[in-house]
Amino acid sequence: MSDKSTQSPAGRASGAPFYRLRLFVAGDEPNSVQARHVLTRLCEAHLGGRCAIEIVDVCEDFHAAIEHGIYLVPALKVESPPPARTIVGSLSDEAKVLHALGIAGKGVEP
Amino acid sequence: MHHEKQSPNTTNPFASGDEVLGGGLPRARTAIVNGGPGSGKTMLGLEFLYRGALAGEPGIFIGFEEPLDQLRENAATLGWDLAALERENRLFLLGGHIQPDMLTSGEFSLKGLLAAASGKATEMRAKRFVMDALEVALRLFDTPIQVRNELHTLNNWLRGAGLAALLTVRPGVRGGALAFEDFFLSMGDCVIDMDVRMVAQVSTRRLRVVKYRGSGFESNEYPYVITGSGLHVAPISTVGLRHKPLGEKITTGQPKLDAILEGGYRRASCVLFAGQPGTGKTILASTFVRAACGRGENVLYISFEESQEALTGNVRNAGIDLQPEIASGRLRFLCQFPEAMGAEEHYIRALADIEDFSPAHVIVDAISACERMGGKQASFDYLMRLLNRCKEKGITILLLNQTSVPTDITGISGNEISSLVDTVVRLDYKEGFGETTRLLSVLKSRGSAHSNQKREYWITDQGIDIADPYLGEGEVLTGTARQVQEEKDRMEAERLEFEIRLKELEIERLQTMQRRMANGIEKRTALRADKPLDDTQQKG
Repeated sequence: MSDKSTQSPAGRASGAPFYRLRLFVAGDEPNSVQARHVLTRLCEAHLGGRCAIEIVDVCEDFHAAIEHGIYLVPALKVESPPPARTIVGSLSDEAKVLHALGIAGKGVEP
Repeated sequence: MHHEKQSPNTTNPFASGDEVLGGGLPRARTAIVNGGPGSGKTMLGLEFLYRGALAGEPGIFIGFEEPLDQLRENAATLGWDLAALERENRLFLLGGHIQPDMLTSGEFSLKGLLAAASGKATEMRAKRFVMDALEVALRLFDTPIQVRNELHTLNNWLRGAGLAALLTVRPGVRGGALAFEDFFLSMGDCVIDMDVRMVAQVSTRRLRVVKYRGSGFESNEYPYVITGSGLHVAPISTVGLRHKPLGEKITTGQPKLDAILEGGYRRASCVLFAGQPGTGKTILASTFVRAACGRGENVLYISFEESQEALTGNVRNAGIDLQPEIASGRLRFLCQFPEAMGAEEHYIRALADIEDFSPAHVIVDAISACERMGGKQASFDYLMRLLNRCKEKGITILLLNQTSVPTDITGISGNEISSLVDTVVRLDYKEGFGETTRLLSVLKSRGSAHSNQKREYWITDQGIDIADPYLGEGEVLTGTARQVQEEKDRMEAERLEFEIRLKELEIERLQTMQRRMANGIEKRTALRADKPLDDTQQKG
């Protein structure tokens, strides 16, 4: 079933949003593995643990893929904060991921 | 040819395409359907699944283009309740549409889709699979290598899943071959091209099987239509070898015409009535209809020129009441204007009635109107197919042809179908002696003796009445003319013989004369020889 790795919701101070993320992967294929690594690193570096990541392996839980309409994998679904968005791919373009998450890149924080 | 096949093709993928595909779409194989917008490829895919679901073969549809609700609505117009099949887990529709809020970062693949399809297929024990507008999904990938990888993954999955798969794609725009097109063709065990074109202002859909690994198929183009009951393909070259032999003689409904034809028309034959307007073709056909219905046989009357009411009204004036036959359900009319639809749709409709009603006889009134379906080719297509189908099913077919001027037999049958016509009954007008007479003649009657003399006939309020042989017309009296000629020749021979005899006698006379003259000369010479001798004796 789905592999849950929720990080402790620490550092909720300063009104910074809490992220609910769901990463859809397809087993151990290279893009999925890469996306998993990138996401873990970005969350640690930029969200300071202000996030809950659920990892769904569509090979094991195809119902989840159908339910969420996820057919391209890997795919990162940002469920909160709004607006809902989906980032498809290995997340190798980290700047684009951060932008999509509403987090500016390192060193250019407002 | 529709032969028994060993390979387990899935049956009845679409209404009549099995024939073209030599038995159906391949089981556990992949078929690629190549078709432009409006070609009906989505419909073909849906029909494949719909019929499968009804036949106990559940199926999965993945569409990348049309919204699923729209598909369900379209299917509903054909009377297909997809939602019900979905509830019963016999059909699963999946919309692989790209969400508008989607962003990309790095590489991705269609594996999620395959995982969903794979899981669902196992869950519902699916046997059939359709992916519609695959090129839309493939456009998400930036490089040809990625596209090829995706197709490889898909292909491997399909091979492993053991599903009868149908993938539809839109061909590359204006010859600009998409990177995956060649790969597609090699991936498909069966490749079908579908297209829509305008022929003589009538839109015509054509289907062609380009390739079918390990299976016999018809490589010609076939017209097809999407009708109220799905997609219908009208193959033409598969027919011809399955014609039923001509049957027994059946009455024409007119005893004197029966006599001319030595018993009547032959069952399962093709009879052509050719004649100018007003020569009574419809009446003659109706005479036959009434006789056939009277025997308890069904007749389908295809009228291109008159409505049922107008036609039955007209023949009633000639004493033929078809109303009882209509009421008994033995006579059915199919009245349509030729220009109302394309030739293939006309054919499909006629075919639907033939299948449904099982007529023993079909009347087409008139084949001369068929050109209005979209030209000569359309008319030929329609008639050839209809004729072939009737011949296959052992149905007698009466073709009425309205001719403008008396012509030869090809002109009479028109449409180059004369080789399939077994009997030709010609109806003519003849002017003369201040009146117009109608003349009937049988020009051809295959597999049957018949009189070829012209007969005068009348259209009365009791139907058609035919007179006894009319002997005044020179051109058809080949029999008499021949006799006259033979008599002449015989006389000439006798005359020549007599002349020879005369000459012989003359020669004899001349020879005798010659002999006599010769004798005379001798005698006179002898006399002259004696005389001088006597003279000398007298002087000495």
